[in-house]
Amino acid sequence: MRASRREFMTWMSAGGISLSMTRLGQAQSVGFDARETLPGRARWNPAIGGLGRIDGEPKVTGAKLYASDFRAADMPGWPDKTAHALLVRAPDASHVYLGLDLARLSGAMKPTLVVTASDIATIGLQVPDFYAGDLFCPVGRTPFYLGQPVAMLIFDGFDAYDQARVAVRDGTFVRFGEETGPIEAENYGAFRFTRVAGPTPESPDLYSPVLAGWVKPGRVQHSPLPVWEPYARETSDPYGKAARYGETIRAGLAGANADLLVLDRHFETQSVDPMFLEPEAGLAWHDGRTGTLELVLGVQSPFDASEAIAFLLAKAKAPFKPKRIKADFAYMGGGFGGRDHTPFMLYVTLAGLFFTGRPVRLAHDRFQQFQGGIKRHAFKMHSRIGVDRRTARITAFAADHVLDGGGLANFSPNVATVAATAAIGIYDIPKVDITTVALHSRGVTAGSMRGYGTVQTLTALETLVDEVAAALPLDPIAFRRRNALPPDGRTMTGNRYTVSVRTMEILDKLETHPIWAARAAEKARPRREGILVGTGVAVATKDYGTGADCSLGRVEIDAEGGISITSDQPEMGNGMGTALASRVAAHLGGMAEEISLARVGVFGELALVTSGNSYTMDQKTQDAAERNSRWVPAISAATAASNGAHVGTHSTSEAARVVFRFGLWPAALALWSIAPADHRAEQWAQATWRDGNLHFADLPPLSLKALAAKAHASRLVTGATTHCFSRWAWAKATFPVQGHRYAAEIDALAIRRGGGPFERVARVAVSFPPTGNNRIGTTYGAACGTLVRVEIERTSGAITIARAYTILECGNALVPEVVKGQAQGGFAMGVGYALLETLPPFEDGPGNGRWNLGQYVVARGSDLPLHDFEVEMLPPLTPDEAPKGIAEVVMIPVVPALLNAIFDATGHRFQSLPVSPSMLKGALA
Amino acid sequence: MIASLRNGILASAAILAMGGLAMGSLAMGVLAGHAAETAPAGRLAPPQSFAGIADTTARSAALFTELGKVLTNPRCVNCHPASDRPRQGDTSRPHQPPVTRGADGMGSDSLRCPTCHQDRNYDPGRVPGHPGWHLAPREMAWEGKSLAEICTQIKDPDRNGQRKLDDLIEHIGKDGLVGWAWAPGAGRTPAPGTQAEAGALVAAWVESGAACPAP
Amino acid sequence: MTRFSITINGEAHGPVDLRDDLSMNDYLREHLGMTGTKFGCGAGQCLSCAIIVDEPDGTSRTSPTCIVPAVNFDGMAIRTVEGHAKGDELTTLQKAFIEHFAFQCGYCTAGFLNEGQVLLERLERSPVARAELETTIAEALDGHLCRCTGYIKYHEAVRSVILAEPQRYLA
Repeated sequence: MRASRREFMTWMSAGGISLSMTRLGQAQSVGFDARETLPGRARWNPAIGGLGRIDGEPKVTGAKLYASDFRAADMPGWPDKTAHALLVRAPDASHVYLGLDLARLSGAMKPTLVVTASDIATIGLQVPDFYAGDLFCPVGRTPFYLGQPVAMLIFDGFDAYDQARVAVRDGTFVRFGEETGPIEAENYGAFRFTRVAGPTPESPDLYSPVLAGWVKPGRVQHSPLPVWEPYARETSDPYGKAARYGETIRAGLAGANADLLVLDRHFETQSVDPMFLEPEAGLAWHDGRTGTLELVLGVQSPFDASEAIAFLLAKAKAPFKPKRIKADFAYMGGGFGGRDHTPFMLYVTLAGLFFTGRPVRLAHDRFQQFQGGIKRHAFKMHSRIGVDRRTARITAFAADHVLDGGGLANFSPNVATVAATAAIGIYDIPKVDITTVALHSRGVTAGSMRGYGTVQTLTALETLVDEVAAALPLDPIAFRRRNALPPDGRTMTGNRYTVSVRTMEILDKLETHPIWAARAAEKARPRREGILVGTGVAVATKDYGTGADCSLGRVEIDAEGGISITSDQPEMGNGMGTALASRVAAHLGGMAEEISLARVGVFGELALVTSGNSYTMDQKTQDAAERNSRWVPAISAATAASNGAHVGTHSTSEAARVVFRFGLWPAALALWSIAPADHRAEQWAQATWRDGNLHFADLPPLSLKALAAKAHASRLVTGATTHCFSRWAWAKATFPVQGHRYAAEIDALAIRRGGGPFERVARVAVSFPPTGNNRIGTTYGAACGTLVRVEIERTSGAITIARAYTILECGNALVPEVVKGQAQGGFAMGVGYALLETLPPFEDGPGNGRWNLGQYVVARGSDLPLHDFEVEMLPPLTPDEAPKGIAEVVMIPVVPALLNAIFDATGHRFQSLPVSPSMLKGALA
Repeated sequence: MIASLRNGILASAAILAMGGLAMGSLAMGVLAGHAAETAPAGRLAPPQSFAGIADTTARSAALFTELGKVLTNPRCVNCHPASDRPRQGDTSRPHQPPVTRGADGMGSDSLRCPTCHQDRNYDPGRVPGHPGWHLAPREMAWEGKSLAEICTQIKDPDRNGQRKLDDLIEHIGKDGLVGWAWAPGAGRTPAPGTQAEAGALVAAWVESGAACPAP
Repeated sequence: MTRFSITINGEAHGPVDLRDDLSMNDYLREHLGMTGTKFGCGAGQCLSCAIIVDEPDGTSRTSPTCIVPAVNFDGMAIRTVEGHAKGDELTTLQKAFIEHFAFQCGYCTAGFLNEGQVLLERLERSPVARAELETTIAEALDGHLCRCTGYIKYHEAVRSVILAEPQRYLA
């Protein structure tokens, strides 16, 4: 093992279980860690020289990388043989569950072990709140939702498992009795967001969520939906105040006013599956002799997954309580949000625990992934928009959102609030009132997915805006320009963005693009008989970050100039590894030779501690907690919310900055014979890297190798580890380093000198963003606009996307080719959502276990304008503009742009998704 | 504790489950036979049950109408499509992946039928198979046609593969690939009746003059 | 059970007795541990499980492995993603995939690589006109699903290899 592979064991105490989120170093060259460290020293590194990417070679040679690739025999120190677990799920949620027809699995298909609700009832599990609900439906109860697990069958050998898997697929293996109807349950969250701006843009808001806090309606018995109207005297503040402002806004939209154009529209979106290509899989081994539970998982949220597992088992009885848990996190075959906080890892854990001593693999096939995987929320939206006919300015907007959250809460309340606070898109609207409620249903659980509620609400908004523009009438881009939020304007929660708002530039680009400029001529151009042509535009802004984002990163440089990076961020195809290498190269002048990702437990040198909930904590608690210099509001976060570029790479980038500032720069000064007292010694920010050499003033350029050797020889800083935290603004701290007070956008630091060990540097001052920032919807946003031209065959309704264009702004693109790829992939996913993908909500839907690709159609190459899709990025405003998260926003405008193009072609406005050829054919008949 | 709610909100109170969304199902447009006794779904009425129809032409047409339950079944229509792309499953959705008939009715250069459709059904993947798997030629398209149109077409040697009427008895009653329709594997509903019963209906129809139902 | 032998990436395996309904995918992944060939849908829809079959007549084709019993490959010679590179030397197509950022998560890559390679070899035997190139690539790759990249970069990568040696691949 190289020095960079040295493991920092962190033993987190969780109910007496020591929790390690890495593996101990192993001698085998093909151990899990080595496989997951890319590309590996002395391997061809396609990222060097700016071409290709750091994870390229393993992915084109079929290396074992993904959780689904590992078996016990691949794991150093494990027994060779792998057992296989089969999670049996309920295809019905309206009848009483009576048990399994196990007699059907006789002979070669007989399971070795069956785990049911009654087996887990007595062992002392505690299900984390986030996953609350029976892990298995007990016999005698109606399943809480379609796809709820009823049992786990474990098979010694693969053949028995494989045959049983097919045998139980038709669902009749699970027996049901009396009809009860679906189980009713409370909603997952209901909120109202109301804002009334002051009389001028400069004046303060009269009312806003930032001023008054976020409000929820009270509970009313036997009411299917929350009661939103304030019961005059009965409804107390703070909800009552929001509701009274809100009702006034609504009354204004309902009243007769000839100068006010009011459109009142309903829009529905469907449930879809993230359809990441690798179905969820995991491996577990509970070594009864040592009391260690080892896991191999592939999730977007490794730290939280580890914590949830430790919590699940913290009070378990012997022999179900491991002494320690070691979790390994693998590369993911796609995620798109659907691997962020899924309950799947809890079942992998149970498989290992109940089959003590023997490694067990739990892996979904695609039928099971459809049946049990997290889905996107279906929305029902009712929107009213008021536009002053004389000024074409939007004066008020009111909307009511109802989300189908499916069987478990998961991220439902969060999707509801993100969707609502995003619902006015790029616009500046002085009066906004939005209610939202996420309901429980018997459908498959909905949770995080790319677009996170915003693709739903902005599809409704951007199609509505298109209709407004047509009704005024005013050119759709001119209307958007007139109403776009200015850079210093307030969002609907009442705060301002802290990053660039470049909507006007996006609109300029869209307006001058040939697809838009030639739209009338293209429509008029004679084509094959029966072909209708239309052009559509839409613009979206999407937040990135969650309001409590953090990351961990370590950068080390060896005496030969070799760079190693370790990060807590996982790789799910978002180019994280390559992005990290790129950010470090900006500081250190060379591409990393080794990158190790999803390493959440190896940052022991920082000795971090945390407490409380950073989302709900009050200022006093934070002020008290931060006096401990090891305390941070949160230690590690999921890669989610498009935060990879902005947050995920930040700590590593800052670590590289420290290595440069206190390692390579003083080494350079020494080689240039510049004394520490020389004024030039402080001009480190003016040095630049070119072709692997450090240039400064007119001094001779120095190679990275020479600087690294000098830094090691002089015991300067050769490694740094940092932690960063953002609550819509970075935490900032000051650290004493080499006689300097070093201030940076990090809250924890450890450094290594020469070849020595890492040592923590205690911060001497810290400024965490105020807890009041938790009332903000977002301060980070990235904008994206899309143009599409469609051709629709009148007789069949077949639709072809002839051309498309996406313009986005992302600050500094860390890896432009990855950004472009995200935009292309977002386009494809948008096309699928708008035109192809749909899951019926209940018995006919994926919860019945009979869905696969074929019924569920995602976009293929032939659905896309492969050679006529152009992606453009606005150049960063400044050379050092921070990167923005764009993974979600690039999907969003695609959907309404397609609907607007369909309207332009057919004259028909569809108010639900997806728009199929038969719907188009029907509308044209 | 999990401390990673995306915007830090705890679920609040209130109630209820969401109303079901109606899903349209694709109507298959199976024509009702006017046999003296209507066979139950999934079955075919035997030729003798039409003996009560005195008029030979009417009886012949009725026999064909009963046979139509097979001909218009997804098991048959899916590979007698109107376009170059076969259909799939009981709902006759367009075939995924998007294959086309190609030059020889066996697929394009990169997606050949027998690549996936092996010599027998493979139930673990729910993929049907037969050694002769291919698409019916373009001129034999049945999809979207009335039974009367199919009847006229099936008698026309230019549109039935140069088959004589007697050959049709053999083709429908005994051909292996046609016979697959009655043993289509997991996840697919078989064609009604049996292949032998369908063959008997063809024989009786031919014998009675091979009349077609009224358009 | 059926007696079964196969040549994979030039290496002989078997004879061994296999269950008749064991999929080729599970033979590769579970029996041999060759997990470079992926499992995506198990229904022949995504082709992330596709491998190359080398026919005795010198031609090659791709085949899904998730919906075909292993025993149906008895006596055949196949290539998988693990067999493209010779030692540390990647093929031109593998390098093109990396340089074009053709994939993101990489789970579909083995299938696209095999399909692209078969296309290149087919064009070497029967070149197409330059004007037909884009359509030829689009048709060849259309059976494969990719959820990350939107396909464009895969197409660009394959095209770049062909256009770099037009005399080899184009008529």
